[in-house]
Amino acid sequence: MAEETKDGIVDEELEEEFSEDTQKGRFMTFQIGKEYYGISISYVNEIIVMQPITTIPEVKDYIKGLINLRGKIVPVIDVRMRFDMEPTEYNDRTCIIVLSVDSMTIGLIVEQIAEVSTIMEEDISLPPSLGKKDRERNKFVYGLARTEGTVKLLIDPQKLIQDEELETFERRYEKEEQ
Amino acid sequence: MAEEFNKDGMLDMFLYESGQLLEKLESIILEKQEEPFNDSDINEIFRIMHTIKGSSGIMMYENITKTTHKLEDVFYYLRESQPDDVPHEQLVEKVLAVSDFVAGELDKIQNGDDADGDETEIVADLNNFLNRIKGEIKDQGMVLPKENKHEEPSQFYIAPVASEDSRFYRIVIHYRSDTQMSNIRAYSATYALKEIAEDLLYLPEDIITNEASSEIILAEGFQMMLQTKSAEDEVLGLIESAEAEQINIEELSAADYGKWLVDFGREEPVIEINLDDPGEQEAPAKKEEKKEAKPGDYVVKAKETGKGKTLAKNQPKKQSIISVNVEKMDALMDLIGELVIAEAVVLQNPDLKVPGLDLTNFQKASAQLAKITTELQEVIMSMRMMPLTNVFQKMRRIVFDASKKLGKEIDFEVIGENTEVDKNIIEHISDPLMHLVRNSVDHGIEEDPEERRKAGKPVKGKITLEAKNEGGKVYISVQDDGKGLDKQKLYDKALQNHLIDKPMEEYTEKEIYQFITLPGFSTKEQVTELSGRGVGMDVVVKNIQTIGGRLDINSRQYEGSEMTLVIPLTLAIINGIVVKVGASSFVLETASIKEFVRITSDSIIVEPSGEEYILLRGDCYSFIRLNQKYNIPDSQNEVENGIIVVLEHEGKQVCLLIDSLLQEQEIVVKPIPAYVKKIKGLSGCTQLGDGSIALILDIAGLIQDGERR
Repeated sequence: MAEETKDGIVDEELEEEFSEDTQKGRFMTFQIGKEYYGISISYVNEIIVMQPITTIPEVKDYIKGLINLRGKIVPVIDVRMRFDMEPTEYNDRTCIIVLSVDSMTIGLIVEQIAEVSTIMEEDISLPPSLGKKDRERNKFVYGLARTEGTVKLLIDPQKLIQDEELETFERRYEKEEQ
Repeated sequence: MAEEFNKDGMLDMFLYESGQLLEKLESIILEKQEEPFNDSDINEIFRIMHTIKGSSGIMMYENITKTTHKLEDVFYYLRESQPDDVPHEQLVEKVLAVSDFVAGELDKIQNGDDADGDETEIVADLNNFLNRIKGEIKDQGMVLPKENKHEEPSQFYIAPVASEDSRFYRIVIHYRSDTQMSNIRAYSATYALKEIAEDLLYLPEDIITNEASSEIILAEGFQMMLQTKSAEDEVLGLIESAEAEQINIEELSAADYGKWLVDFGREEPVIEINLDDPGEQEAPAKKEEKKEAKPGDYVVKAKETGKGKTLAKNQPKKQSIISVNVEKMDALMDLIGELVIAEAVVLQNPDLKVPGLDLTNFQKASAQLAKITTELQEVIMSMRMMPLTNVFQKMRRIVFDASKKLGKEIDFEVIGENTEVDKNIIEHISDPLMHLVRNSVDHGIEEDPEERRKAGKPVKGKITLEAKNEGGKVYISVQDDGKGLDKQKLYDKALQNHLIDKPMEEYTEKEIYQFITLPGFSTKEQVTELSGRGVGMDVVVKNIQTIGGRLDINSRQYEGSEMTLVIPLTLAIINGIVVKVGASSFVLETASIKEFVRITSDSIIVEPSGEEYILLRGDCYSFIRLNQKYNIPDSQNEVENGIIVVLEHEGKQVCLLIDSLLQEQEIVVKPIPAYVKKIKGLSGCTQLGDGSIALILDIAGLIQDGERR
């Protein structure tokens, strides 16, 4: 199990170019549905194949549960479900991108990994504000990147992890506790 | 090691060592609260002060150097002149004042602040004290001992003017091969000698500036040429340290000394023997005796005993200890946890289940492996365990201080201070415990001895601090025989402060006692320096709760009260039983399981609200179906096919329906990742032998939940 993950695509590259500078403008891109998404590579620890997941009760349905990453227990979320899309069956292309955000380690289940691509700052534009209807999705996307004819939606992992509803619930729960 | 030589490393060591020395100092002082110090105590305190002075001098903390130096002076005087009528109580006070001052400065340094405490007052006070005890002696016409002069660290070379009673030594110190930063050790030795040295040279010379010198010192020993008036024993006493494996002292004639000096890169000097030297400071009679000691070459081994009372006492009685970064310990702990799991993966590998395999040798080997891993686990656990001795020592001090301040006479008894607790926990209980002890002194014991006499109690109050280890928990109780808690008063006060709103009858005795743990509650009319600011007990409880403990309060009016901290022995490993519900595994702490039973559906009582109870041998228990509570699909919902677990926590029971039992095993508790937030009824998670994750059920939470419904 550990061997597989060590040979992960990103891991090697990360090792070669670990410094801040070389990571700048590099994005891990992956596919969900028809769209391509990108996450700044500085957040990405590694990419692993699908793992057996232990479900946890009483959490949001997009939090699929916990995985055992070489002894470290990591929560995983299904990005599709996070975007309020219909869940799909996992197959052998399904991957988990392991991120560190705010010193938390978290896994994102994505349908398919695309590539690591370099996106220049000038190629990034703000998402059009017209799509207000689809607010749910847009709140995660902070920019659109055009590269080689395709558009990639750049995701802010912090937003992905935050959950307003859950936070308010938390607060209420804490109050109750006291 | 030598590569790491920088001020940080030195600072850590300085803080660590000085802290240890202060603790030792306090333990000596508190043991001898009543009776005067004996020779070995005086020597020990002198040595402690001397060491702290030396190392703080190196680290350039001048205020610490000055205070410790002054106190060293006092003890130097005590040691040399042995006056009989020293006011012991005052002396103890002075020592404690210095100890507090140094501890305070050390804290500042540790927190990265400047050690900027003002030492003048303490120094002046000590000076007065010293003069006073000296003055008394003077009147009796005794000879004063030589002033114990403190030389500034910058003065490295002292002109070699030899007087007729100068003696010459060649000293070689060999340090133990695992000594860290031996160059610093060597420097402290030179520093110590500068006190008495008329001339001092050493090889290698550049011990402070050249890191590589530590290797030379380790390999070849540290050589010193010393010209002094002091006797060999005294020299030896100054340079001794726990790290020194062997110290050779050779007394030389003036001529030989000169020859040796050539080796030290100095031209052979003409040593003037100044016969006219009046010997301004006459050496005390004691030293004269010492001079008769046969000079020569002898070797002191680090742990040799029988070198005379003073010497033996001077040897620190510590075990060989290295300090390890806690992070490394945690990493090791994690890895061992992994190892245990990996071991299970290998030993329970499905490949082994092929029929007809001859596994005899494999079984033997695996039994051996299992033994080693178990032992390994035990060792790492014991590494994290520390006795409560130090914490309790601190409490002794607090009682001493507080009772003095309040003018209450208190007997303080400590039971079970060797109880061992996980290091993490020790860090968390020190402050709460301090608070409880202070409260006992301040609020517990009656102010007026008359009051005690009337109640038929001895005039002297008594506080007992007790620790015991019971059933995977540690109980630490602070018990006093004071006036106890007044329920009515507590209730009135809580009501007055709008902390509660129900009539008194609705609270049980224990609940009323718990009022004192509410934020903003203090029954003491007058706020004292010691306690009673209304913050405190709530902080105590909060601190204890963060480590999974609780505070029990028991009291009887006019007879005393008892505060008990109940804390888990360790946070890291529990003994658990793994159970299965649907596809999920859960862990139940073995200690809280009362029994497993199978029942039929007619023992279930259903309330109109849908709530279920189980009738078991005439007792009624609340019943939780784990599968329904957590919506687990494909699980047993028929009580006949499942298993009922009866759980008990703090005298309350609950029944749980599960599908099946898997195994009992040691569980390495890991927290549920913060991202998932807190889930009611779950306290953590762990990995099982096959690498899958099981959730640990929080029994207390489940019971609370059952009650709430």
